[in-house]
Amino acid sequence: MATTERPTTNHLKNMKSQSNHSRLSLLSAIFTAPALLWLAAGSAHAEKLAVEKDSLKLGFIKLTDCAPLVIAKEKGFFEDEGLQVEVIAQSNWKVLLDNVITGNLDGAHMLSGQPIAATIGIGTEAHIVTPYTLDLNGNAITVSNSIWEQMQQNEPDLDSDTPPHPISAAALKPIAEDLLADGEKLQMGMVFPVSTHNYEIRYWLAASGIHPGFYSKTDVAGRTDAEVELSVTPPPQMPATLEAGTISGYCVGEPWNQQAVTKGIGVPVVTNYEIWKNSPEKVFGVTRKWADENPNTIIAVTKALIRSGKWLDETDAAGKLVNREEACRILSQPNYVGADFEVIKNSMTGTFVFQKTDVLDMPDFNVFFKHDCSYPWYSDGVWFLTQMRRWGQITEAKPASWYAETVKKIYLPEVYRKAAASLISEGYMTEDELPKTDDSYKVTTADFIDGNAYDGHKPIEYINSFEIGIKDDAALSGE
Amino acid sequence: MSAKYTILKGIDIAGLNFLSPVVRLATGEEPAKQMKEIGRLIVIPTLAFLAFFWLWAVVAPKHRTKSGEVPTPSVVWDARAGIWRFHNYETAKQDGFLLQGKERETELARATARIAEVGMLEKIARQQLTAAREASTVKFDTTVAPAKNAYDTLREISRESRKGRTAALKAEAATLNTATEEARLAFLQKLRDTQARTEIDKLELAKLKDRYEEAQEITFPEVKDATRANTVLAEEKQFLVKYIDMLGKDSRELKLAAAKTKLKETRTSFLTATEGDLYRLGSGIIKNEKFIKTTASSKYAKPWTLPKQIVRSLLCVFAGFLLASAIAIPIGILCGLSATFMAAMTPFIALFKPVSPLVWLPIIMIIIGGFMPDPENNAFLMFFDKVPFIKNYKIDPMFLSSAVTVALCSLWATLVNTALGVGAVDKDHMNVARVLRLGFWSRLFKIVIPTALPLIFAGLRISLGVGWMVLVAAEILSTSEGIGKFVNDMYTNGSSESFAQMFVVVFIVGIIGMLLDRIMVVFQRLVSFDSAVPAG
Repeated sequence: MATTERPTTNHLKNMKSQSNHSRLSLLSAIFTAPALLWLAAGSAHAEKLAVEKDSLKLGFIKLTDCAPLVIAKEKGFFEDEGLQVEVIAQSNWKVLLDNVITGNLDGAHMLSGQPIAATIGIGTEAHIVTPYTLDLNGNAITVSNSIWEQMQQNEPDLDSDTPPHPISAAALKPIAEDLLADGEKLQMGMVFPVSTHNYEIRYWLAASGIHPGFYSKTDVAGRTDAEVELSVTPPPQMPATLEAGTISGYCVGEPWNQQAVTKGIGVPVVTNYEIWKNSPEKVFGVTRKWADENPNTIIAVTKALIRSGKWLDETDAAGKLVNREEACRILSQPNYVGADFEVIKNSMTGTFVFQKTDVLDMPDFNVFFKHDCSYPWYSDGVWFLTQMRRWGQITEAKPASWYAETVKKIYLPEVYRKAAASLISEGYMTEDELPKTDDSYKVTTADFIDGNAYDGHKPIEYINSFEIGIKDDAALSGE
Repeated sequence: MSAKYTILKGIDIAGLNFLSPVVRLATGEEPAKQMKEIGRLIVIPTLAFLAFFWLWAVVAPKHRTKSGEVPTPSVVWDARAGIWRFHNYETAKQDGFLLQGKERETELARATARIAEVGMLEKIARQQLTAAREASTVKFDTTVAPAKNAYDTLREISRESRKGRTAALKAEAATLNTATEEARLAFLQKLRDTQARTEIDKLELAKLKDRYEEAQEITFPEVKDATRANTVLAEEKQFLVKYIDMLGKDSRELKLAAAKTKLKETRTSFLTATEGDLYRLGSGIIKNEKFIKTTASSKYAKPWTLPKQIVRSLLCVFAGFLLASAIAIPIGILCGLSATFMAAMTPFIALFKPVSPLVWLPIIMIIIGGFMPDPENNAFLMFFDKVPFIKNYKIDPMFLSSAVTVALCSLWATLVNTALGVGAVDKDHMNVARVLRLGFWSRLFKIVIPTALPLIFAGLRISLGVGWMVLVAAEILSTSEGIGKFVNDMYTNGSSESFAQMFVVVFIVGIIGMLLDRIMVVFQRLVSFDSAVPAG
């Protein structure tokens, strides 16, 4: 290979020196400059928002779903709004949230549960709001090779190069029971107590009758009655922790599941797309105070993010995602996600690799705009609240009205609507791309792995509908 | 002749003793002896270093973990180039954004021409990659297929035979209802045997599976090289796309020009309009004026790159070091002068000296955070934004926490050494001072400190070394921009380059630490009285 590479580099150098003084470049300058001037003038005709703050620092965690923030910066969508934005990697969710609260960061890529938990006072208390949902889906549960082998023994159907999907936790149940009989518990990792991953892995386990444990006032680790113990591990350390055997499986976002496949240390068994089809994943969060002090800036940021989401989900006539490859290239830069291009590409371009032999088409594994993804739905917030109650993170029973009021304090559809209106008037968005909804609640859906229907208007009934989980007094539903 | 001794003295003070035989040889002094010295001080260390590289290059590829391969020296060298490339790209974007007029246009034309070239090169590279991939797939299939077939066949056979055995046993069990106890026991034994047989099958199967997996682990350096070549080009293209934006439509010049045209238009319509919303037009003008003002001073938000992070780390370590010295030297002097004070300080020194930076840092972060509830508008931090040079490095609470941690961990060596040095002042000197009726301050500055200086500097040298070691850990934990943050970022990136990039950091940290140490050696020699040039 070395022999073929060398001429290439020489070739490259020669071409570079020739081109520096060529007439061609002068010509192209003459042609391109007016065209660019015209372009610039065109975009400047749109009504600029008078932003209160024009240089922002936004935090993110190295996961592929930070893409809307990164793309808005790299493709100049922030600049179009008159914003100079620094996008800064944070080492974990706690540090990120603390930095937003203390004002070191203006806003950040957050777990959907974070603004909710912070606002109602689970963990660090602070009023955080969100005008924009960054993406749907994008997580998966991976188990170690040895657990996968045991699962295959329990469920012979899985012992194939292309096992049937979705894989439920049923094959995992005997393993957990065997360990329990030995006085041990199966250890699994998730990324944060109020992360979507925590609720997803709990949902998946509980759907097959495995108890993942309750939280309580005294048990903040959430292990009361647990048959499988869940612990917090930062995403980038997941593969290493799995390899070391500290945990036998984990639920995490990309690229850390694909990383496990590439390195051959584990097998992804189920994606959150299969657990709950089109589940909301990350949001863009700022403090209430910041949102109040910068009413125009928050709209400007939302506008840039909407354009970014649209860019990421742009398809050609055949329905192929056209910009994803470029997005992967950008995300693989060391100051962004920094993982190998190939690894990021595995999950971002519409396929998901369960095993080297088992690659599934999943065009909706990462959704950034379609399916009305980016709109801040109240019903999404209510779902997270019901799960927090189901597992005891919300320690007291609350009436249904509390759920509706709480999400109204956190989700800001009015900001999204203003941003969308502005984009529509500028021609960057069409009227029908804005979700048609009166109350910002999604319609009832049963797209869950266990088929249990969810209606955001009826949180108490929903909480009580689960076999495993805390039950509330039906009278609280207020009907 | 005197020039020679000046040079030799300089070499000695700088602690670069390995150079002195070279100088002596050049002046023709005892060639045989000098050659021997050169052999010992220059050739041997060089050989040792080369041997180390050789060993590294040979051993590294043999050690593979699932998290990656230990990089060889050449891979590390490539990673260094990658880090540097990223720095250059970002610097170019930063500069490009500010370019104006003719200069910007030529640069734009150059970049546009270059992107076409890179596009072509990328096409070739991609073809090569595809070819390499195809070749590797064929090779993979041919090497892996036998192992896979063996595994699959045996799996099928053992599954079938297990099924058959189970069916036979089940059939037999059905007839047992009327059988004797003996027959039943015999059946139990059969059941046991069958299960043992299944276990043996499983073991054999597992062996084959291991072989199959081993076969799958074969790597293809050609594909890796082709991917790397492809990545370099794709990255350059990505950079050029953004760079062209920064030079073209996103450049400050064009943005300003467009905004000014817009302002002019709004102004004219505001001044001449006979109907329409004058309030809206008026506020539009003001909005535009504001926009122009902010755009005129806007800069490209450049991400931190390693060279800048290194400078910030150096600033941080020096801030900590100065703080440590400012605390340790006065206390050390007091300790040396007064045995009572020393007795009072001993428990603190004993208690706090062994505490790890990882314990100090969170505590200090909370304390400093408490002083600075609103870092954006803190007067102390805003002061640094006005200091030239330092303002580029963004002094924030995390920086201060790291610096204080460095100080807390490194001050002990200076403190103890200062106390020792001061305590060792000759009693006769003190008596003379008493006879001369020197005051406390002149005694301090004329006798005590000059005598203690060599030891104080020995302490400072250790302190700086400790501080540099502590700093990287502190930065990793506090995510304060610097070398530590770089290491943490690379670790979390987990890309195929990460390992090599961390090795690059090992060398950078080592070299800088060595230079810092040399600088302190020079100071130490300069203040020592016994630094005479060795005779000869």
